[in-house]
Amino acid sequence: MRHIPINSTHALRGTVRRTLAAMLLVTTSTAAMAADQAPMTIVINQSPWFAGFQKVVELYQSETGNTVNLDVNPFAGSLEKQRHAVRTGESPYDVLIMNAGFFIEFYSGGFLEPLTNIEAGFKLSPDIYTFDDSVYWNAETKQIDAANGDLLSVPVNPFLPLLHYRADLYAEKGLNVPTTWDELYDNAKALHNPPAMYGISQRGQRGAFDVTFDVLPYVWSHGGAFFADQKGGDYTVTINSPETLAGMETYLKLAQDVGHPSTAGQTQTNVIQNMATGQAAHIQGVPAPALFDDPANSIVVGKVNYAPTPGTAEYPSSPPLGHWLAGVPKNIPDDRKAAALAFLTWFQTDEAQRAYAEAGSPPVSRAVLTSDLADKPEFRYMKALADSIPNARLTFVIPEASQVLAITELRLNQAISGELPLKEALNTAATEIAKVMTDSGYTAPVLPPLE
Amino acid sequence: MKNDTFWRYTTLMPAVLLFVALTVVPMVNLFVLSFHHVEWIERIAIWKSVGWSNYTAAFEDNLFRAGAFNTVVFAVVAVTVQMVLGFILALLTIGVTRGRTFYRTVFLLPILVPGIIIGAIWKLMYSYDFGVINKTAIFLGMSPQDWLGNPNLALASVIVVDIWHWTPFCFLLLLAALESLPQDIYEAARIDGSSPWQALRFITLPLMLPAIIVTFVFRMILALKVFDEVYLLTGGGPGTSTEVVSFTIYRRFFTEDRPGYGAAISIITFAAVAILIFVAGRISRRRKAS
Repeated sequence: MRHIPINSTHALRGTVRRTLAAMLLVTTSTAAMAADQAPMTIVINQSPWFAGFQKVVELYQSETGNTVNLDVNPFAGSLEKQRHAVRTGESPYDVLIMNAGFFIEFYSGGFLEPLTNIEAGFKLSPDIYTFDDSVYWNAETKQIDAANGDLLSVPVNPFLPLLHYRADLYAEKGLNVPTTWDELYDNAKALHNPPAMYGISQRGQRGAFDVTFDVLPYVWSHGGAFFADQKGGDYTVTINSPETLAGMETYLKLAQDVGHPSTAGQTQTNVIQNMATGQAAHIQGVPAPALFDDPANSIVVGKVNYAPTPGTAEYPSSPPLGHWLAGVPKNIPDDRKAAALAFLTWFQTDEAQRAYAEAGSPPVSRAVLTSDLADKPEFRYMKALADSIPNARLTFVIPEASQVLAITELRLNQAISGELPLKEALNTAATEIAKVMTDSGYTAPVLPPLE
Repeated sequence: MKNDTFWRYTTLMPAVLLFVALTVVPMVNLFVLSFHHVEWIERIAIWKSVGWSNYTAAFEDNLFRAGAFNTVVFAVVAVTVQMVLGFILALLTIGVTRGRTFYRTVFLLPILVPGIIIGAIWKLMYSYDFGVINKTAIFLGMSPQDWLGNPNLALASVIVVDIWHWTPFCFLLLLAALESLPQDIYEAARIDGSSPWQALRFITLPLMLPAIIVTFVFRMILALKVFDEVYLLTGGGPGTSTEVVSFTIYRRFFTEDRPGYGAAISIITFAAVAILIFVAGRISRRRKAS
């Protein structure tokens, strides 16, 4: 064993210390020269698209020298941190990445700074989708309002469901891409061969916004809904309408005849796993193409293709928006608001949106989504996504969304697991939703119970 | 004498202050909150007094009722099995002297693993498609089961995980108690011709009763607070089949952002556990007295 003399050790330490100090000086001085904004922190969830967002943040840092920290959390954890942050004296976060299920409570609570208050001339780029006008809020009428509302957020991710199907098996069996649920059922039946292959794997587990998100394309494309017209102020509860029932019956028919035996216990992760391991012919999932084209995580590389979720003869594809929006809290100093806005301004650029797409996350720019990228095999989801966005709708525009979701998540899951008969589950959900709404001061009549 | 009393109170004061700051004040705050509905308007929290309505709503809350029922079933079944298994293991191993440190370390392992990791491990094991349990079942010619997605199996599956997790805790406490029992009584019984069963029935069990009660109460309190295993394994589903009270409180309080109502169901749960501890304490004292 070699012994280093005390003097040598001391000298070595001195050299190391001097070298580190020099490196630190160079690093900080470079950063100080380049950075033109205060360091900022973004609170975000760990979603299938997060890796792409992380890479685009790294690109922003390297291009501008500005520092961006990411506080990454599970879905529910991120929501709790955001609520806590905006209710304290000064938020530790400069940008909140809010989900479509919950953003209204941040709007209606007055927690977000209108972006034009930070910089008078700030505008959303015309290329950026507004996702059912969800970026605008009228504080007086407490409504989503593109005409008279303030711009409160910038879309970050177009999280909406697409039909994922095994293109190789379609080619093998000569199947056509389905545009209706009946066609999907026939295709799924043709490929259903359990346990090696399930015709479809659905996300039926109860969570924060899980099973509800999965059933909505079925419900809406049968003419059903949870409320008659939230945006128009008609809060009649319609979750137990014959149309909603028809949508749910289609969902259950697929689950029971050609679905996974554990639909009621399937999470988003399970569904993705079933597709990635070659055990599902179809899934309804959010676009996260990198998951299936990465040989390290998938045995179906290049075999999955995408289409809008099916509709019916009467109604088109009707995906719910589960997208993500970036807002700036009011309770931070002006320099941090400016830093947040600088990032959001850069994020909307064509360059950033292309980099975002190339890093594996679907962009929110119409220009990029319909660009030459869409013709490349690795971005084959883009056409389906661009076709879906015009039909996509907000699920909730009321701050009571989290309470209504708690009811729908439970009752829909009970219907799928067989714990409650479908009609009873829908009738019970209707009564409970009406109570939440009336307790909150809305007029929310219910339909006659399904029999 | 007067000086003694002064010093007694003075030395006690730091502990009392800590208790007041960390327990009494939060509990009072929770209690006050339980009579309010909190709403946020223009960044200002508006507290509206709602009287007892949060409490009355709790008894009409299907999720809370299901959670309370499941929690009791979960705690009683899991803890009873853990106690029985722990006691049997303690009896079987008390005479073992070789490799004692090794087996105790091995038995300790499940307690040391955080609940969230245990949840992840067992979720993989229970997986319908990839889990080792179903793979084994298929290998043995049996049909796979939907352990976590079937309402009839899900709670039992979660209970099995808890039994695996906490049986070593019961085992270690009961083993320590067994080792401390006076041996002369056993020698006297042997001389009197008692069988091993009689020694167990008439000496070990009565002498072990205080330790058994303490262990049981400890475990019951922990079992009534179960959260992490359920959160990761089933999320309370399918339906309400694995809903437990802690999970309901978490949902109502945080996910749904209803602090007033969440506080009310927390107070009800706290009261129920306090009553359980009180009753157990009374039983224990009565046993000692008799």
